[in-house]
Amino acid sequence: MTAAASSDADLIAAHAAGDPHAFSELVRRHRDRMWAVALRTLRDPEEAADALQEAFISAFRAAASFRAESQVTTWLHRIVVNACLDRMRRRQTRPTVPLPEAGPGEPVAPRDAMAERETRLVVQAALNELPEEQRAPIVLVDVEGYSVAETAQLLGIAEGTVKSRCARGRAKLAKVLGHLRNQSADANVPVNDVQVQQGRQLEER
Amino acid sequence: MTGNARRTGPPWSVDLLADLHAGVLDPRTEAELRPLVENDPEAREILAALDATLEDLHNLPPIPMPRHVADRIDAALAEEARPAAPVIDFAQAKARRNKRLGWGAGLLAAAAVAVGVAVVALPQDNTAGDTAAQSDKTTTPVTGSAAPSDGDRMPAVRGENFGPVFGDVLKAQNYGPLENQDKLADCLRGANISAGKPLGVSPITLDDKPAVMAILPAGAPGAYRIVVVDPRTCGPDNPDGVLANSTIEP
Repeated sequence: MTAAASSDADLIAAHAAGDPHAFSELVRRHRDRMWAVALRTLRDPEEAADALQEAFISAFRAAASFRAESQVTTWLHRIVVNACLDRMRRRQTRPTVPLPEAGPGEPVAPRDAMAERETRLVVQAALNELPEEQRAPIVLVDVEGYSVAETAQLLGIAEGTVKSRCARGRAKLAKVLGHLRNQSADANVPVNDVQVQQGRQLEER
Repeated sequence: MTGNARRTGPPWSVDLLADLHAGVLDPRTEAELRPLVENDPEAREILAALDATLEDLHNLPPIPMPRHVADRIDAALAEEARPAAPVIDFAQAKARRNKRLGWGAGLLAAAAVAVGVAVVALPQDNTAGDTAAQSDKTTTPVTGSAAPSDGDRMPAVRGENFGPVFGDVLKAQNYGPLENQDKLADCLRGANISAGKPLGVSPITLDDKPAVMAILPAGAPGAYRIVVVDPRTCGPDNPDGVLANSTIEP
């Protein structure tokens, strides 16, 4: 049953029907992306490994009763994200641990490779400095490529909140990364009388 | 001025432009703001900075899960799957019992009992001795390395009726007098059985004599090989040290 061509929904059904290998195959398909999410949100490899193991075991136990087959991937990813968020909440203050450099092949030119590596480290370090409520949506939307709608589902918040938190986080990152010069993300003091009432869809600040 | 009122001209509010950039603003506000932004170099510079930030984030490399983490999770899932696997075959087990096809069905039923499923749905129709053995099993499970000593009540098997002890052995990792996996492997090698780590292993009595029973994967989902060895005589050169060698399939 655990053929490579099986869909995620097939695998979850096979798991529910008793195939002992189906769930492991499902995990294998998604583990790299989930690892990246866990590591980038938790910033600690040990913590990320613990969160993923806890999440996958939890999903394993719940999977037999899972019915909404078309949403297997979202369901599994949400369990993982929730496990990460739980750990983030439990440990509000923690030291930042540098993430390993593990990208695909480096550019041929050594100078370019070094510059690129340095940029990645700077970007990751800047990301680590964001408040957790902004880092999680930024990681999901801007780094891992989830849509705003998917991220809203994964985090259990409104789409408007995802956008708003991403906006806040990007503004801070733009400043930290040096893309914004002589600007402050907090510089909202009016100097003339042209103002816009913000029609924010949702904001939790 | 209210708390959510922000600048729409030089010097621009970065937060406001970040909201515009992220699609946070309502359509009317956005429509009012767009022409102002497009005609202002500073606003365009801020939007370009936000674009550059997004590009930096997009360009962060994937981070593959390290091998040791993947192995750890695979092992945890395998462990999770181990006791639950026989439940899979509940329907077949029931059908087999109804057809009275021998002890194989009893094994599957007992395995299901071990995970608390078949107690109600799959009543045993064993002999009185079997019932007693099962009673022992439910009150004194053989778990982990909590090995019963020789004087303790070990799972008892008569003939090839492994069903009543199957669940307990499946949950145990107790090599008893064999001490470890290597010695078990040596014993099995005597009967040309190659084995890795058993799914479960426990000392038992076979027809009142001390023995060690192991449950091995049989290469297919839901299939198991049951082996019983005589710990006093088994070894790589003694095929007679393997007292039982049976396979059950779903």
